[in-house]
Amino acid sequence: MTLHHYLILAAVLFCVGLMGAFTRRNAIVVLFSVEIMLNAANLNFIAFWRYSDNPELLHGPMFTLFAIAVAAAEVAVGLALVIAVYRHFKTVDLESMNTLRE
Amino acid sequence: MNEEIAFWKEIAFWILSAIAVLGALVAVRKRNLIHGVFALLVFFAGLSGLFLLLLAEFIAAVQVLVYIGAVGVLLLFAIMLTERVAGDDDRRMTSRGWSWGLVMAAAVFVVLLLPPILQLPSPEAAQEIKPSVEELGHKLMNPYVVTLEVLALLLTAALIGAVTAAQGVRMPKEEDSPE
Repeated sequence: MTLHHYLILAAVLFCVGLMGAFTRRNAIVVLFSVEIMLNAANLNFIAFWRYSDNPELLHGPMFTLFAIAVAAAEVAVGLALVIAVYRHFKTVDLESMNTLRE
Repeated sequence: MNEEIAFWKEIAFWILSAIAVLGALVAVRKRNLIHGVFALLVFFAGLSGLFLLLLAEFIAAVQVLVYIGAVGVLLLFAIMLTERVAGDDDRRMTSRGWSWGLVMAAAVFVVLLLPPILQLPSPEAAQEIKPSVEELGHKLMNPYVVTLEVLALLLTAALIGAVTAAQGVRMPKEEDSPE
């Protein structure tokens, strides 16, 4: 396995997440599409660390650890916002949240 | 012996990446949200296996604990709190402009992501990496302690913020009104 295998896999996963974030209308699905993209980035960090010159410095796992923690915080706040929006609009359909347009 | 290990590693890589990609695709495409979240959990598990394959065992464990454990349950709760009737077809929201999204994602892949990847040199992986959990702990205490503290602050703020946002704004006047 070369570094390229992992990078291309991460790119594919990122694009799958991107596709979901573009096309889905449910706010929760958009949120977890973003999560897929974040995880693809984490895979890149770990792959670059594994194939780096001095992996004993542990830069990759450290950054990934912090990225995972921040992503977890983001999910919690994001879902709380979705619930707040749901309470206001009575739906999580992103296309019906068009108050600014009217 | 070494060649045999390399062969099995390759097999494991392909199986795990197939699991990850299929899980992500199903998660993004499934109309039933609950099924989508379970596919997302499969994706997280596949990614955790890939981390193990890259010898980042602590990150793999964290992936299982945080994503499959916490984020999965959180997503399920959010869906159950927002979806009023799980089986109602009208309320299930489908996707819009599916083909355009596919074209956009493919364009991003081919134009933005693939060229820089192919230009990279292909370095050799280090033959042996020591188990890194202990070293990670030491590093969290010595050079990264400020980051750790900032992260703790961020998590606390996120906790309070999430509770406040989900609680919503209280309208005391409505409760007082005689109705």
